[in-house]
Amino acid sequence: MAYKMNRRGVVAGLAATGLTAPFLNTRMAAAQSGPITLGVVTPLSGPVQLIGNFVRHGAEIGADYINSNGGVNGREIQLQFRDSKANPNDASVAARELIGAGTNLQLGTISSAVALAMGPLLQSEGGVVITSGAGTEKLNHENYNPHVFRVGDSPVSRNAGLVRHIVQSRPDIRKWGGIIPDHEYGRTTWKIFEATMRKAVPEMTGEEAVIAEPILVPYGSGDYRNYIQQAMRLDVDGIYTSVYGGDAVTLYQQAKPFGLFDKIDILLDSANEFLVATAMGDQTPAHWSGFHWYYEANKGNPLSDDLYASYVERTGDQYPMGWAAEAHAAIMAYAKAIEKTGGSTETADVIDALKGLSFDSATGMRHLRAEDNQAVKNAELAYIEPSSEAESGFEVTDYVSLDGENVVEPARPGEMLDLSAL
Amino acid sequence: MIDYRARFRSNLAIAACGLAAFAVVPFVANSGLMFLAGLVAINIVFGMSWNLLFSGAGLLSFGHAMFFGGGAYAMALVSLHWPGLPFLLGLAIGAGAGALIALVFGVIALRRASGVYFAVLTLVFSELIHLVITKTTFLGRNDGLVGIPRPTIETGLFTLDLTSATAYYYFIVVAMACAAFALWCFQNSPAGRLIQAIRQDNLRTAFLGTSIFGWQLTAFVLSGALAAFCGAVMVPFTQIASPEIAYWTVSTQPILFTLLGGAGNFWGPAVGAILFGAIDYGTRAMHGLSEITVGTLLLLVVLLIPGGLLGFLQHRRQKKRRKPTEPAPKRTEAQP
Amino acid sequence: MYDIGMTVFNGLAWAMATFLVAAGLTLIFGILHILNFAHGGFFMIGAYVSYSIMLGFGGGLPLWLYLVRAMAAGVVVGLLGWVVDKLVFRRLRDVEDAYSLIATYALLLICGGAVTLIWGLNYMGVMPPPALNSVIFLGDMFMPTYTIFIIFCGVAAFVGLELFISKTRTGRLIRVVAADPWMAQLLGLNVKRIYLVTVIVSFAMAGAAGGLLMPNQSLSPELGGIFLLQAFGVVILGGMGSIRGAFVAAIVLGLIESFGTYFFPQYPGIFFLLALGVILLLRPEGIMGKEQTA
Repeated sequence: MAYKMNRRGVVAGLAATGLTAPFLNTRMAAAQSGPITLGVVTPLSGPVQLIGNFVRHGAEIGADYINSNGGVNGREIQLQFRDSKANPNDASVAARELIGAGTNLQLGTISSAVALAMGPLLQSEGGVVITSGAGTEKLNHENYNPHVFRVGDSPVSRNAGLVRHIVQSRPDIRKWGGIIPDHEYGRTTWKIFEATMRKAVPEMTGEEAVIAEPILVPYGSGDYRNYIQQAMRLDVDGIYTSVYGGDAVTLYQQAKPFGLFDKIDILLDSANEFLVATAMGDQTPAHWSGFHWYYEANKGNPLSDDLYASYVERTGDQYPMGWAAEAHAAIMAYAKAIEKTGGSTETADVIDALKGLSFDSATGMRHLRAEDNQAVKNAELAYIEPSSEAESGFEVTDYVSLDGENVVEPARPGEMLDLSAL
Repeated sequence: MIDYRARFRSNLAIAACGLAAFAVVPFVANSGLMFLAGLVAINIVFGMSWNLLFSGAGLLSFGHAMFFGGGAYAMALVSLHWPGLPFLLGLAIGAGAGALIALVFGVIALRRASGVYFAVLTLVFSELIHLVITKTTFLGRNDGLVGIPRPTIETGLFTLDLTSATAYYYFIVVAMACAAFALWCFQNSPAGRLIQAIRQDNLRTAFLGTSIFGWQLTAFVLSGALAAFCGAVMVPFTQIASPEIAYWTVSTQPILFTLLGGAGNFWGPAVGAILFGAIDYGTRAMHGLSEITVGTLLLLVVLLIPGGLLGFLQHRRQKKRRKPTEPAPKRTEAQP
Repeated sequence: MYDIGMTVFNGLAWAMATFLVAAGLTLIFGILHILNFAHGGFFMIGAYVSYSIMLGFGGGLPLWLYLVRAMAAGVVVGLLGWVVDKLVFRRLRDVEDAYSLIATYALLLICGGAVTLIWGLNYMGVMPPPALNSVIFLGDMFMPTYTIFIIFCGVAAFVGLELFISKTRTGRLIRVVAADPWMAQLLGLNVKRIYLVTVIVSFAMAGAAGGLLMPNQSLSPELGGIFLLQAFGVVILGGMGSIRGAFVAAIVLGLIESFGTYFFPQYPGIFFLLALGVILLLRPEGIMGKEQTA
């Protein structure tokens, strides 16, 4: 009996070795010539795949653009995709596997927990990741790690930008309320909204802002009526919300018959871009939404025009989300950085080159701060209104692009976000 | 009469082969695959801890994530807030956290519910614990606790540096081997057999004067402690404890491992966890197909080979043996 | 007074939406003793099917067409139920609970994957038909007509199912089989067929619920999971497949969730779970107990 089991175990062991042989470390193969391989670790399955798809298209369009314009010093960019399943463990397996195979330069992270997990991992394994838009402020504050860069908005630049524009264009609206997800992301966005509002309104009007307690709503719920009822009781002129994705669509759908949106003057949505509008069509409530990238605001910028045209051509979808532009920007940042290192793709060289790098992107020039690896980029927002003429049922009637320098917080790596400094 | 010594020897041989396979992984595979192997090693024992309840005590838990997550968060808290504490004590605290959760929950629930009701109760409580984690600032809310250091163990005689992923990988393999061995010993001890007897015939065992509740509770606490131990060992490896590890889908994992591999066999969860790791790895570059692949595979296993992979192999072997035309059993056994 | 009234109203809306999803789940649980994880998945498919039918007609449907569409979704998903019974449930009759739970969990994964492949990942939203898109004022309470309609549908589904079980021949046969399948077999009843009918009815109810509730929800492959835990809670709390129990349980949990949110707005979305846990600990056999099957 024992003898047999032994034999069987040995056979299994040999089979396992055979199976793993193709995945041997090929680190040494990475050289200064031949194609440059970038790893894209992003959700390719599960509920967040929707965003992962934008990341995929953005990265591929970016790589195509570089390659058809002569590559990086004549070298082609190749992409390797891995499914992060929006889960830190799966993302770690993927990131390590890519590094082991010599792909130490990565991008595509979108969830905050994954982005925070990447720092220590890349530091010990030797790699870099550019996140395409993880929303946590900890990334460039208390959990700052030199191996993690963010080419997208910091939560501060996004929300402070929204607030400053609204206060300037509608100084008459001083009474605000909020509907936010009961999630780390919701709390962060609200803290920033409230602090900026309390500061910006008196600066502009000389009067204090009146801000109600935010209404917390659960994540992934099917019924928001009780929270809508709470919102109906508020005596406010404007409502800020950072409820995201399908939850936002459900919330808006259920709030509409209550007349919540008729009661207020302004609905301010921190991040849904066209998600709500494409779902609701002509039933979309008029609202301002923050954007990673709004193509109309960047018309004439060849990178933006190419990204938009290529995206529409690939997917037939007229409304790309800004996530695509953030992945696209990550490719642009790597290309520029590797040009700067003179072709080296070694982790330390690329980090040095990325720090303080200025590069062109679909939203114009971006600058990666050397202190905290946070990009300074334009904050964009657009006003979406229902329309009976537009085929999609809605149209953008106003948009702005704000200079990033004015809305981003000062660099304070390693320290918690100081709201009084906003 | 079953020859327990022969059984022990053959199990030891299987374990030795498995250990050898895990030990060579860092030499032949890249760091991503090694990381996956480390997670698989943890999953093996996690699956076994569930099967201790299911096949051992006949209890269906749909909330093992609460133990796994409990142990993981306890370990994360200990290493972040009391870095001076010996690492092994941290692991013990992690396991203890799981035992405590299991004890409190078991005392309340075991007397009252059984079968599907018990399963749903575990599901509800595990969801509650998940919610509590996401709402507690102390536990890092939705972003979790990050930057958990890997330890160095001072033994007095020598220092064991586990700060690199590879060193810690070996620690995981050793720790999981010890845990599996302890579990095997327990299941084959008089107490372990008594718990199985309760499962097979509730009433008769009660007549013999055994406290069914007491022994079921024992199994529940042991299972919880073991699952929590797995969580606690995992945290320094991944260096993050995020609420996903306490989500209800994690509770389905040990069930999947066990049923895939075969619940009737001690090694069933191991086979299932390895197979599952392989599937995970195989679908890593697919776009949006991993859900449907995993679903179909599981459904096929449950419908076509309900005894799991090992049950299926065993069944085939027995059928072969029974065939009178078959030559001496020695030859059949020699076939792999 | 206004607040209390609205809180009760919202609680009932929660309860009836959940009951619409849970009714079919209860039926299968009571008769086949399978806790069907995939029920949420088929509810979602019903919503998507009904969305596709709607695209064929363009927006702004009259009320009757909206109802016909929901029924059509029920028929489609009922047919799926027939397939699932033939392929899956029939083989789960004699296995342990864990196996059927996992088999239906696998089905849920397949549903999610299939919806992603067929309809894609984009969020979609549908508004109620114009006839149900207004508000009724009652004193200073304002009640959206669509919400009133959902509450009405929940009650109608309950009454209809009760009548079906107690008054029709098929319903009585179902009760016989639920009580003692072995004896039913001896009496010469075609048990297999009755199981099949149960599964089809249950799935059809899931599909129709999807069609009815679609304007309440954003459509996305996540929809399958959203009502699942809620519906599970209602079924278990209701007792072993008791329709009446599930109905009462839905109302109890809906009101607790609603009042919990009203009094403790800083802890949203946990009261239903909390209440479920506590009530099950006090009364593990559910509200109606074990004896009242179906």
